[in-house]
Amino acid sequence: MEKLKTHGVHAAAITYDSRQVLHDFGEAYKIEYPLLSDVGSKVIRAFGIFNTNVPEDHKMMYGMPWPGDYLIGKDGTVRDKLFLRDYQLRPSASQIVLSHFSDAQGNTVNVTTDHLNAAITLSTDRCFPGQEIAVSLAINLKPGWHIYGKPLPARYHAAELTFEGPLVGELKLEFPAPRPMMLKGLGETLPVYEGEVRAVGTLGIKWSPPAPVPFLEAFGKWIKPGAYAVEGQLHFQPCTDSVCEPPQAVKFELPMRLEAYVPPAPKKTE
Amino acid sequence: MLEGLNRREEIRDAMDAKTKASVLHDVIRRFGTGGNDITPEDWQRFVEAQNDGYRTGPEIGERVPDFSLTDQNGKSWALDDLMGPSGLLLVFSRSADW
Repeated sequence: MEKLKTHGVHAAAITYDSRQVLHDFGEAYKIEYPLLSDVGSKVIRAFGIFNTNVPEDHKMMYGMPWPGDYLIGKDGTVRDKLFLRDYQLRPSASQIVLSHFSDAQGNTVNVTTDHLNAAITLSTDRCFPGQEIAVSLAINLKPGWHIYGKPLPARYHAAELTFEGPLVGELKLEFPAPRPMMLKGLGETLPVYEGEVRAVGTLGIKWSPPAPVPFLEAFGKWIKPGAYAVEGQLHFQPCTDSVCEPPQAVKFELPMRLEAYVPPAPKKTE
Repeated sequence: MLEGLNRREEIRDAMDAKTKASVLHDVIRRFGTGGNDITPEDWQRFVEAQNDGYRTGPEIGERVPDFSLTDQNGKSWALDDLMGPSGLLLVFSRSADW
C-alpha cells in the first residue's frame, strides 16, 4: 500500500459488511485506507460482480461479490483489473504494483552467471494458503550470448523457470515470443532471446485448511503457518554464434512466510 | 500487463443452482463444527461453487459506475474523493466478518 502511494495511487476496499464490522476490522489490522460499507450490495451489483451462486437463504455469504481488484484511472475508467480464483481477505496491492509498475522491490533474488544476470521477484514474502501470487523474471544476457525459447528441437534446451518446496503449487509464467535467429555455427534457425527478457505470471500457493486437521496432518496435507523457502531453478542453455554450452540450471531461494487465515476482528463484549 | 493473469478457462455455468447452494451451505456448516472433516476436494468444490460463471465487471477502458459509500469511521466517500493523483486501487473483498 505504501508503494502504491508513492505512485500517486490511493486505495479503498468495499465489502457488504456493516460499518461496525469494518471499524473493528480496520482497528484490529491498523488499516488506514477507507473500508467502505456496501450493506445490501448496491454498489457490488452496480459493478456487475454480485455473486449469483450464493442462495438467498445463505446468511453468511449472500451479498458477497466475485472478489477482485480494479486499478481505476483519474478519468474513472478501468486501467487494469485482477480477479483470481481463491481469495482470502488479503493484501493484494503488491501484486498490482509488481505487474503494473515494474517495481522490482518485492521479494527479489538476483542470480549471476558468466552469461547473464537474472532477477526473480515474487509479489510478496508472506502469503495465505490457496493464494496466487505474482511472479516476474527479468533476464539480462551479456553481449554476444543468447538463450533459447520455444518451440525448440529436443537436442536444445529452452529457458525455463521452476519452483519447488512445500508451499509451491502451479506456476503459470508467460515468456515473450522469441526471435528466430540464423545460427551460422550450427547451420540452423532457432528461436532465441538476446539482451533483455521479461516474463510475468502467477505462482499458486498450495491450499491447506485454516486450522490443523488431524486427518490431513497425518497425510502431510496440512501446512503449518510459519517461515518457509520457495526454492527455484532457472534453466537455460547459453550459446554464442559459434559456441554452445551445455544446458545449465542456477538454483535460488526466496523466503516466504505462510500466514494463518486472517480472522475477523475479535468480537467485543458490550 | 495483467491480461495473462486474468485469462482463465472460459466462463461457464458448470453446476446447477441446487448443487451450488448445497455445497456452499454444507462446507460452512462443517466449518461451524470444527471443519475437521473438510478435505481438499471439498474445498475445491466450495471454491468452484463460488466461482461458477463468475463475472468481473467493467472491462479495461470502460467507465466504472459512480457511487457514494460510508467508511469504517462514518465518513462518506464518492468515487472522485477516493481518487489519488494517479488513480485508485479499488478492492472488492468478500467480507471482513468471516
